Amino acid sequence: MSGSRYGFAIDTIRCVGCHTCSIACKIENNLPDDVIWNRVLTNGGASMDTASGTFPNLSKEYVTVACQHCENPACVKVCPVGATFKDPDTGAVRQDYDKCIGCRMCIAACPYTGVRSFNWDEPTHSIGFAVGDTDAPEHQKHTVEKCTMCWHRLARGEEPTCVEACLAKARHWGDLDDPNSEISKLIASREYKQLLPEEGTKPSVYYLV
Amino acid sequence: MSDFSTGAIVDDDLDLSAAKGRSKSHEAVAAKTAAWGGKGLNAAIGVSAVIMVAGIVLWGVQLSGGMVQTGMRNLSSWGLYITSFMFFVGLSAGGLIISSVPKAFGIAGFGGISKVAVMSSIACTVAAIGMVVVDLGQPARLWELFAYSNLGSPLMWDIVVLGTYLILSCVYLWAQVRADAGKVSHTALRVISIVALVTAVLVHSVTAWIFGLQQGREMWHTALLAPWFVSSALVCGTALVMVVAIALRRAGYLSLDQAYLVKLAKLLGAFVVVDLYFFGCDLLTEAFPGGSGAEVVAMLTAGPLVPYFWTEVVGCALCAVICFTPALRTNALLVAGSLLAILGIFCKRVQLLVGGFQIANLDYAGPLTPMQHTAWDSGLSGIYGGMVYWPTPLELGVTLGVVALGVLVFLLGIKLLPLRPKDDEAPSE
Repeated sequence: MSGSRYGFAIDTIRCVGCHTCSIACKIENNLPDDVIWNRVLTNGGASMDTASGTFPNLSKEYVTVACQHCENPACVKVCPVGATFKDPDTGAVRQDYDKCIGCRMCIAACPYTGVRSFNWDEPTHSIGFAVGDTDAPEHQKHTVEKCTMCWHRLARGEEPTCVEACLAKARHWGDLDDPNSEISKLIASREYKQLLPEEGTKPSVYYLV
Repeated sequence: MSDFSTGAIVDDDLDLSAAKGRSKSHEAVAAKTAAWGGKGLNAAIGVSAVIMVAGIVLWGVQLSGGMVQTGMRNLSSWGLYITSFMFFVGLSAGGLIISSVPKAFGIAGFGGISKVAVMSSIACTVAAIGMVVVDLGQPARLWELFAYSNLGSPLMWDIVVLGTYLILSCVYLWAQVRADAGKVSHTALRVISIVALVTAVLVHSVTAWIFGLQQGREMWHTALLAPWFVSSALVCGTALVMVVAIALRRAGYLSLDQAYLVKLAKLLGAFVVVDLYFFGCDLLTEAFPGGSGAEVVAMLTAGPLVPYFWTEVVGCALCAVICFTPALRTNALLVAGSLLAILGIFCKRVQLLVGGFQIANLDYAGPLTPMQHTAWDSGLSGIYGGMVYWPTPLELGVTLGVVALGVLVFLLGIKLLPLRPKDDEAPSE
């Protein structure tokens, strides 16, 4: 997979807002209590799962937001020690917990509100033991973390767990640089939008509409 | 250090032990001078040392018990520490610039306050560095900054420039002391003062770029931020020098002609006006198109940051009035005006820091957890309805400890280093 740019295409028409991707991610990566890397947001009313507008002109759409694995990531530029970096082979924006000094410069830089998460406390797990993949890196207190595109799975040739878990088959993952990949064809054939394109970060997540 | 003592004995004014023999030429202030290095100063040093130690203990509590004890969370990931960092970097400017500008350009200076002013710069720089250190989640990994430096990061630039600035301030102070003793030529001093001046301007610009280069935060992302940081630094730095100079004169540490204070006041007034002008330019540019920038202006003038906005504007305006009206330039009012300007600039730092987090780019409703915000259970309206960040007592305590560190450095400088002006000091000093 050398020199590729991997990304996600998320079909907002198929998405039912069930949070399965979010929970699958939490389990796979053994996320500490109160940490969510992939959040299912409601583009609608003021609360989750509500629509905007007045009946019968209502609209509601689910937007699952995790790291956008930008082609031009704001976080990578500002990290003083290179703890957050772009993987040259996959284009995934990765995070090295052992290196992170906890300055939170990347959180300030990332335009995608709430995507990056800092472990404000010693990571704990409500069930008292670690779950998830044995290859998923251990979480550390006072370091920043976020979606890794399931880097540990990618390294084994598997796809990210959120894509595998999606009940509605709304999530697609693949090589954006390969015009013959399933994801490239989807993006070419469907209308899509991206989050905050005006920030110039060139996100690798496409929301099919 | 042995050079210091040699100089001290030669000059008879540069006294390391402070309690020992006093210069005869200081007889005018001899009565008060006797107190120097005496109980008052020692007590102040003791108090700041105790507060600093208490701050270190609280920092230990923060590190062991987790930063969950602060008011910071993912949606407001910086707080009082970084606000104070900006503030102290700014405060450090004045002393160095007040001291170096006259020397660099060969114009009349501000009497004998040059060395004390640089000492205040050093103390503020130490406090600023302290603020960054207590903000770090993993301070034990600080060494990585030098091992794995990402020279493209504005934070890395700041670390390099701030370190240089601190060293340079110390060298500059040393050179002034040596020049007093006739050991450093005026040309050499002038060269050092020019380098120090350039570094001072850089240090504020680079600190501004930590914020200003981040396209994701509407309020920060403006080219004006760097010059504006320089002007704000000049305001609060000059104000600090004014307060320190008046206080030290009152305490009998130095004698200073009122004319120098008037000159300083005029300068402060000019800086305040420039700073307010920049603020006005920025607000207009943000608001005029009526787009998302108007949100920023509304947040400041009518939103959660209202008290900070008006304190800054009114405080700075009052300071300018005091500085520009000859009849108002009494010691008490000058100190009051300076303190208002310092308070105003602190409020500006609060606006800038909190304002960066107050407007969310993605404000869709979704699952919220205690890691995202302290008011997570009150929803997005609860989070963004008021100020998105408010410090906890622990943060206040740690911040106070770092401030005490700065005060301690300054007081030790006053006590141990020969910073008092020479009596025959020419106005061009």
